[in-house]
Amino acid sequence: MRRFITTISIILFIITGFSASAFAGEKLLVAVAANFILPSEELTKIFQDRTGIVTEVTYTSTGKLYGQIVNGAPYDVFLSADEKRPDLLEKQGLSDKPFVYATGQVVVWTAEQTLCGATDWQSVVKNPRVLKIAIANTESAPYGTASMIALQRVGLWNALSEKYVFPQTIAQAFQYAETKSADVGFCAYSSALSDKGKKGCFYTVPEAPTIVQSACILKRTENRSAAEKYVEFIRSHEAQKIKEKYGYR
Amino acid sequence: MDLNISIRKKLPHFDLDVSFSCRESRLLVLVGPSGAGKTTIIRILAGLDRPDEGRIIYNGETWVDTDKKIFLPPQKRQVGYVFQEYTLFPHLTVAKNVAFAADNKGDVPSLLKRFNIWHLKDRKPDKISGGERQRCAICQALARRPRVLLMDEPFSALDAVTRQNLREEVQKLRRELSIPVIHVTHDISEALYLGDDVLPMVRGRIVRKWMVQFMLKGRPSEARLPESMEGYDSDDRRDLSVLYDSLEVMQ
Amino acid sequence: MDITPLYLSLKLAFYTTVILVITAAPLTYLLVYIRFAGKSFFEALLTLPMVLPPTVLGFYLLLIMTPQGNIGRFWKAVTGSPLIFTFAGIVVASLVYSLPFAIQPMKAAFEKIDRRLLESAYVLGLSPLAAFFKVIIPNALNGLAASAILVFIHTLGEFGVILMVGGSIPGETRVASIAIYEAVEALRYQDAAMMCLILVPISYLFLLAINRLTRKQIYGS
Repeated sequence: MRRFITTISIILFIITGFSASAFAGEKLLVAVAANFILPSEELTKIFQDRTGIVTEVTYTSTGKLYGQIVNGAPYDVFLSADEKRPDLLEKQGLSDKPFVYATGQVVVWTAEQTLCGATDWQSVVKNPRVLKIAIANTESAPYGTASMIALQRVGLWNALSEKYVFPQTIAQAFQYAETKSADVGFCAYSSALSDKGKKGCFYTVPEAPTIVQSACILKRTENRSAAEKYVEFIRSHEAQKIKEKYGYR
Repeated sequence: MDLNISIRKKLPHFDLDVSFSCRESRLLVLVGPSGAGKTTIIRILAGLDRPDEGRIIYNGETWVDTDKKIFLPPQKRQVGYVFQEYTLFPHLTVAKNVAFAADNKGDVPSLLKRFNIWHLKDRKPDKISGGERQRCAICQALARRPRVLLMDEPFSALDAVTRQNLREEVQKLRRELSIPVIHVTHDISEALYLGDDVLPMVRGRIVRKWMVQFMLKGRPSEARLPESMEGYDSDDRRDLSVLYDSLEVMQ
Repeated sequence: MDITPLYLSLKLAFYTTVILVITAAPLTYLLVYIRFAGKSFFEALLTLPMVLPPTVLGFYLLLIMTPQGNIGRFWKAVTGSPLIFTFAGIVVASLVYSLPFAIQPMKAAFEKIDRRLLESAYVLGLSPLAAFFKVIIPNALNGLAASAILVFIHTLGEFGVILMVGGSIPGETRVASIAIYEAVEALRYQDAAMMCLILVPISYLFLLAINRLTRKQIYGS
């Protein structure tokens, strides 16, 4: 009998231990576009410490997240890397009105020191010593789309097609470039500003459209008050300062 | 062209320790109960196994010498080996099997005809009888013009009639061959029928002492224990009774 | 619908199968016939790709195939081009991924061959190498065929490993499984469905072929 009670208690303890909501009360599930990992981690930590709301974040490409949400994934808040998808969600009645939470930039970044000091990004990608260029999946990653647009605008998109490598997310693009698996990568500006990013060099890409990133609360959320607190924090002046640190405006 | 062998090897239940010679044109039979080490000797002769110590010399050529660390691999010994079963390559026809390692492919038809399996030359081993398979195996071994012919209980898996037929074939064959032939069997009547020299073996040793005793009787039905056990030590008595028991079983 | 991914998948499967069947045969021979120290460890190592999650395999392959990694560096030195994110790269990855599937059927077939057959060959004068080609291979054909087919369909279905080291380059490393995945992510369900519709019958037919072959081994001959 004693054994039985002990076992049951242990099992209950484990089960409740894993569902943090049993202890912490509110919780939140946030979907965040891959480029925004670094600022998001800092912001989420502050938010969690301050409010006690356990916040779990999933990072992957905007397109993937959108697909998941449309198919019923239980996120409470969605931080996209574009405006298009939150707008689509609103139109489909799946979210509240979106708002812009950050604007980002595409840059060309490389870990190869010999490629630093060129005149502009175009001469870098055209360089015959550059064999592999990482571009995030142009369909599901807005930064990838923007990179493609920039290349199209300067008439290089087709010419360089032999060199492209297509990681699934913009964060992966940086990873490829950082490990020198790709010679250069079209990355988020915030990656270039990171610790690892500082070890290489970057070039601005004025031909790429500014990435306007908007977010929204999803209508199916069961933690509306927690979601609203989160959104309020994301839009706060304090959060703005943090975003700027990571290269967002 | 004599084959001289003197070897020792540690086996799971006893130690193998034999020395004998087989002269050219003579058929030597190793006879005894199963597990006596007869097959091990044959395998060592063929090069498929190694003795712990000893020597094997054929016509002055050293095949094995454990002291001098000489070991001639089976490929180079040019012996013929007829197993009890499974010698033939299942993916080849009878003719191709015999021709497999033939010294001169022209020998093949005459061999097949001589052993009465010419009509089976295009059949695969699984489509012929056990006796026919063993005939084929003998042809296969002979095609290589071996210097020694080894046969390890080649007829044990066959029925009595086929066995008798094949024994007669081998008897006929022996007269034409000038090479040493070593034949292993557990059947005393077969041993007596075929052998110029018969070496009974029990538990890894050749028991020569009473070889004369019951071999001279000529017929296995008359084989019996020697009248007096005088002069036989306990090992001999034990070996003798094992041999006697196996005779009983065979009758 | 773009059929290049399907073509790439078939091409990858073909190259992997040919290379693997040829290289797995001597490896299997080693495992079945040669005794050596640490054999069981070696054998377990060869079986590892079968039980590891493909992403684990992909991760390690990624590490060694990048230009800093051992294999990547060697490749670049010898051929001048990188290994990662190339068709050659995913072939290498597939070889590792499908190796155990090549070895298992071959091993079963080799083990079924009676040792005495080999011994007979040696006594008849064949060297071990000659015996391998003239005795073992002809009697293990079913096993070799089963190996080839298994590797082929297993490679057709490869995803996790290729995702990590392929880079999804159209016409080079964007095989069908990746293309289907990306189509679903981009909500292009029709494209995904079309590719699946073609892959399923191919795989099924090959499975039927294996079934026939292995049944022949049990009941036939």
